[in-house]
Amino acid sequence: MLEVEHLEVAHGDAVAVWDVSLSVRPRDLVTVVGPNGAGKTTLINAIAGLQPIRSGTVRLDGGDLASVPAHELCRHGIALVPEGRRLFPAMTVEENLEIGCYAPPARRLRGQSLERVYATFPILRERRRQLAGSLSGGQQQMVAIGRALMACPRLLLLDEPSLGLAPQIVDQVFAVVAGIHADGVAVLLVEQNVVQAFAIAARGYVLEQGRVVAEGAPSQLAQDARIREAYLGQQ
Amino acid sequence: MPSPTCRPASGCLSSPHENRALPSLNLIGQSLLAGLFTGGLYALLGLGLSLTWGLLRVINLANFALAFLGAYLTYQLATAFRLDPILTLVVIVPGFFVVGIGLELGFLRFKINELTSLIVTFGLTVILESLIQWIWTADFRRLEWPYTRVSLRIGTLFVGLTGLLAFGAAALLTLGTWAWLRWSYLGKAARASAQDGPMAGAFGVNRRRLALLLAGLSAAYAAVAGLFIALNHTLAPSQIYSWIGVVFAAVIIGRLGNALGLLAASVFIAASEALTMAVTAPGWAPLVSFTLLIVILLLRPEL
Ligand SMILES: Nc1ncnc2c1ncn2[C@@H]1O[C@H](COP(=O)(O)OP(=O)(O)OP(=O)(O)O)[C@@H](O)[C@H]1O
Ligand SMILES: [Mg+2]
Repeated sequence: MLEVEHLEVAHGDAVAVWDVSLSVRPRDLVTVVGPNGAGKTTLINAIAGLQPIRSGTVRLDGGDLASVPAHELCRHGIALVPEGRRLFPAMTVEENLEIGCYAPPARRLRGQSLERVYATFPILRERRRQLAGSLSGGQQQMVAIGRALMACPRLLLLDEPSLGLAPQIVDQVFAVVAGIHADGVAVLLVEQNVVQAFAIAARGYVLEQGRVVAEGAPSQLAQDARIREAYLGQQ
Repeated sequence: MPSPTCRPASGCLSSPHENRALPSLNLIGQSLLAGLFTGGLYALLGLGLSLTWGLLRVINLANFALAFLGAYLTYQLATAFRLDPILTLVVIVPGFFVVGIGLELGFLRFKINELTSLIVTFGLTVILESLIQWIWTADFRRLEWPYTRVSLRIGTLFVGLTGLLAFGAAALLTLGTWAWLRWSYLGKAARASAQDGPMAGAFGVNRRRLALLLAGLSAAYAAVAGLFIALNHTLAPSQIYSWIGVVFAAVIIGRLGNALGLLAASVFIAASEALTMAVTAPGWAPLVSFTLLIVILLLRPEL
């Protein structure tokens, strides 16, 4: 459903991603791993329309996304859980979730989607009138994931959702991501937590210095001596 | 400081004072009433400023000049065509809405920020003042209409009809705006955009259209403020500047983008001014708003 070909993205003159090709099939769970500064965020933001593309193409179901304005991307079924969560801190939890279903097709399903998010994260129901900025890191991450789910995406983009969270919250986040995938949503997951990402992904890409240096099934990637050493902490 | 005729916070909406030595209960009541009405005018003038500053990061000084342009247009239409002043809004409000959109198109085109907006709109204010002076001269103009001098007598208090109308309009517009921002999807989108624009965009908010709508609304509010300035005050082009300081104080104390806070702050400041004048001398009134602003900023620095 998502096809990225020869993508090049730059911050000003500094090229951060170049010649990246990847694909996500319907109901696929694909992970992109790589060290700090590899260009993972740049890549996922470019797909989400937050970052202009210098060259190459991003296609969704065959349609080129280059000509689609950023605010219309979500109508095509893409939703982003961005790096650092980027909630609307001075708005309540529920208002944050409601922005998730701002686009008319998702807005019609507001009640139903809210119920689903609150069923997934019961603590958010309790906190729904609280300002998002006052929540703990783990709860904020739940809001960020919930907000994206409110958009009823067919393709969910997640940028390091486990970053900076306590171990048992990390496990919960990965379980939720696996659950979303099991519900039939295609997922592109950027992670530095390679062990857990590989455990739930069907395919993985390794990004280094803006390029894809390896791709394949996680089990296959995990056998590569260099990847084991660099990302899995094994000899 | 403004002209000799009638400064915003003066007691000119009320009856003459009988006793200067000791403020009687009646005088205090009359002052508070004047504060309520003048506060309404502050809120009407501040609403557009608060919205564009809080939600679009544009500090639009031209709002004050627009309000005066609106006041003069009301004066002109009412005197030349014998059109009821309130009815002139039917023409002026949509016109100003379009002007507000045009201004914002310019601001967006030149990627204006808070500081440059202040400078550019100060320039616009000076230009508009000159335009007003060129068309209507620097002479004082007073809109006379059957209801401009009507006062209702409630107990021992005199309640000026146009002041009451100004407060009513202010309460209606600030409450409506507040509710709209709080509960409607568009209002939520406006608040979200102010906090993280690109993320709001990623969830489908068309920020450009929203910005144009808010800017148009703000200018339309200036038109309403203009009507009530024309109904309650003598007009002179230079008086544009006499409102800026106190309205800024109200906008900041009420919190940017918070319409209800603005109304409360406006009434509080205007009532404090009126009381100060009743108890001391009119010359002390201008100190009030800024003393309040400084004290409140000290007590609540997280603004
Ligand atoms: N806003 C920016 N302006 C300029 N350069 C940037 C900007 N954001 C990122 N970069 C640069 O682009 C490169 C890729 O950064 P990016 O954030 O995409 O990496 P990342 O893989 O997401 O890293 P991390 O794991 O730390 O999140 C880095 O060299 C970074 O310094
Ligand atoms: Mg990153």
